[in-house]
Amino acid sequence: MSAFFDLLGLLIIDAWFAWIPAVGFAMVFNVPRKMLIYCAAGGAFAHSLRFLLMHFDLPIEWATLIASASMGFLGLYWSRKHLIPRPVFTVASVIPMIPGSYAFSAMIGLVEINTTGYSLALMQVVMENGLRTLFILTALSFGLAIPSILIYRGRPIV
Amino acid sequence: MILSKEQQTEITRIAVFAGQILHQHGAESRLVEQTTQRLGIALGADNIELAISPDAMVITSLVNGHCVTTTRRCHDRGINMQMVCEVQRICVMLEKKLLDAKDVKKRLQRLKPYKYNRWLVVLMIGFACASFSHFFGGDRAVYWTTFVASSLTMIVRQELGHRQHNPFVNFAIAAFVATTITSIGAILEIGENPQIAMAASVLLLVPGFPLINAVSDMLKGYVNMGIARWVFATLLAVSVSIGIVAAIKVTGVSGWAI
Repeated sequence: MSAFFDLLGLLIIDAWFAWIPAVGFAMVFNVPRKMLIYCAAGGAFAHSLRFLLMHFDLPIEWATLIASASMGFLGLYWSRKHLIPRPVFTVASVIPMIPGSYAFSAMIGLVEINTTGYSLALMQVVMENGLRTLFILTALSFGLAIPSILIYRGRPIV
Repeated sequence: MILSKEQQTEITRIAVFAGQILHQHGAESRLVEQTTQRLGIALGADNIELAISPDAMVITSLVNGHCVTTTRRCHDRGINMQMVCEVQRICVMLEKKLLDAKDVKKRLQRLKPYKYNRWLVVLMIGFACASFSHFFGGDRAVYWTTFVASSLTMIVRQELGHRQHNPFVNFAIAAFVATTITSIGAILEIGENPQIAMAASVLLLVPGFPLINAVSDMLKGYVNMGIARWVFATLLAVSVSIGIVAAIKVTGVSGWAI
């Protein structure tokens, strides 16, 4: 039982720290003021769901896919309710899951290979981080698109 | 409803104006195409055909077998979801017959991009990057180092953007500033693991929206738009990493696993 409460506590902390970037970046994208609360809820929901799935040893790519697909369906519901295009909620909500650090590591590795010359260690950094960025990003984007790919298939949502 | 040639030209202009607004403010290509077509058809055209390329769009309206074609350049004006929402709302209101062509034109011309108070954005982005440092396992001192560094970086980014600087130059300079500030934290050994702040403070420069738009455009069949967005986002990431590497060379402290 105490393990359950420990997990719950970690989840709540994770959700708390995830809504802040979601709202911050939503403000950079100028999401309308009334919709910021949905971005916050979506960001907290998606990131803590991914945290939960990764806690049960799911690889990060699959956890991201499931979390962002759930976010896609949640965004679908909200967008039908408020008559607002889906990316307004969904993109800001998945921003905390974007693999920015991996992407920059890969790029810095490339720059370093240029200055210090080729080495297996550097190439490993570039390939591993670059591929992880690619797969997480594809999972993220594909997950968000699942409702419109599987259910709406080209018809307008709003 | 039979439209005259002048009316057809007019509704084509209205539709392309709406599409141009969507394109300029970072809507995904499927949304641009669908909304423009719905708007044109609701205004009385038989059909609307649209060709979208990364910096321009071509639109042809078809009424009684007559075509009107027009092209608009679409310069990037920054991501603004509020504009996208407004255009979408106008489209829905037109389809429900709450507006006519004249109202639509007037409303579209009246749209002004809403911007949040810049200091509020600075504060929120500071806390956002600080939250990322928490996800990377940083302690409280690292949290506040990241907050200070990324807030200052956001101010630099806003100032350069306000002066119409090239986005690549802007991002490289911002990354340099962020890494320099956090490396001071690393030199003074603030917190348990000050290198975390170096990685977290540049995350405000990740081109997340173009990357997600790129993949979803390609998934939905707009491969040329997707490639253009992908290349743009990759170049932004390269210029950020050049800024980071320059700062690492100056200060001699590296927060990255290299």
